[in-house]
Amino acid sequence: MTTDIEKFGTRNWGMIADLDKCTGCQACVIACQAENNIPINTQDRVERARSISWIRVERYWEGDFPDTKARFIPVMCQHCENAPCEPVCPVYASYHNSEGLNVQVYNRCVGTRYCANACPYIVRFFNYWDPVWPESLRNHLNPDVTIRSRGIMEKCSFCIQRINRTSREAKSEGRELEDGEIQTACSAACGTHGIVFGDFNDPNSRVSKLRNHKRAFTLLEQFGTDPNVIYLAKVDPNRNNSEEGHH
Amino acid sequence: MDLENKNKDHKSKLGNFKLPKLPIKLPKPPPPPTHLGDVELPKTLMYLLPVGGLFTLAFVGAIAAFVITAWWGQPIPVLGFEQTFDQPINFPHTVHASTKQLDYKDADGNTMMGLGTDCTFCHRTVNKTTAAGANAYIPPVNFCANCHGVIGTEDNSQLNILRDAAGIIGEDGTSPINWRRVHRLPDHVRFVHEPHIRYLSANPEHIKGETDGVSTGPSAVCSTCHGNVASMEKVYQVEPLKMRQCVDCHRDNEAPTDCATCHH
Repeated sequence: MTTDIEKFGTRNWGMIADLDKCTGCQACVIACQAENNIPINTQDRVERARSISWIRVERYWEGDFPDTKARFIPVMCQHCENAPCEPVCPVYASYHNSEGLNVQVYNRCVGTRYCANACPYIVRFFNYWDPVWPESLRNHLNPDVTIRSRGIMEKCSFCIQRINRTSREAKSEGRELEDGEIQTACSAACGTHGIVFGDFNDPNSRVSKLRNHKRAFTLLEQFGTDPNVIYLAKVDPNRNNSEEGHH
Repeated sequence: MDLENKNKDHKSKLGNFKLPKLPIKLPKPPPPPTHLGDVELPKTLMYLLPVGGLFTLAFVGAIAAFVITAWWGQPIPVLGFEQTFDQPINFPHTVHASTKQLDYKDADGNTMMGLGTDCTFCHRTVNKTTAAGANAYIPPVNFCANCHGVIGTEDNSQLNILRDAAGIIGEDGTSPINWRRVHRLPDHVRFVHEPHIRYLSANPEHIKGETDGVSTGPSAVCSTCHGNVASMEKVYQVEPLKMRQCVDCHRDNEAPTDCATCHH
């Protein structure tokens, strides 16, 4: 009998975020909230730093006044190959599956929050309250995604419900998955097509080609987490060459 | 020092400690109250108090039995925990799905044969890959009314509920039929029918269970989890449908057992 890894481990999902195309419009954030049944971040939750957003657009300033430029960088779960969140979980709620995804199993999670402390990217979120939605949004929830109850961790899943559904459709039609067929909510919503999702194990996929781009870098590379989310650096024609590679 | 002496030596170290003699005398329980304030309570209460304890025990036991039944999700017909519900309409799956001779009589007094309809004739989305394919939905009322606007006697009270909801008789705008859900999976599971039907249709040797309905097509595979629905007057859950059953079957058929396959 073949193991799962031999039989199904033919994929390594990854994402490319081109910062040169990012306008900081937050469409990916909204799309993610809608797709993944994320509770609404009311003012009091944000003030207590307990808001949940699986993807956030970080804004930072570059250059000295008056040549200041706003820079944006969308940060979601990096799905690290050496994920710091995985070994700290006492109940194996956070684990790496054969498709290169860092999976959070909600019904295993007991809410120790070790993983959130271990994560250097701050992309894991704890449910301090049961999620509530206003009455007008009663029927808006995505039926393919679990609603996380109080007391468990959650994070970006690379829209695994979309991966599963599209894989299922391809299998039903008896064909192989095509590159670009699976779109995460954020990549589908990105107006400038700055976020690309695909399979790193497929050498002809767009993400595999972009991975070796000269602008490619990963967040907090010094920690050796080996993320599956690759960023392409901002192109700045006015930038001094001596500052190249500083991020 | 030999072993015996060592034991003796050890014993002496215990000193004057003595084990209490058995049986230990328990303090006497206080007598049951005879007065409540100035009012004298009736003496019968003294005899009723222990009986009340028994009732409490039975009550707790009943709750425990209910919880255990609910936890295992096993239908236990002997205890009256059979998971059959009275639906708003007594919809007989036998008449529609069975291929056998039935006890029903038609309008002319002849015994009826089951229609032998395929499950997917009514539960249309069950083998679709779309998002709706996750559930075997109950067809809309108008779908039933396509046939039952004509078929069935006019004084059939059950069919008239349906015709009323479909707007054929009575006033328009009546409330929809509130069917009760019979099959429930545990929480946190994203189950989709379509791949299971697809696999079992291609590999009929893995089908478990028998059906009175048609033995070809999607109908044949449904019995693996749903039992012989074609023989049920009221549908009930046959299999426990717990994770162990899912994982066992997935292992037997070399299907993925990764957590994220079902839990996401």
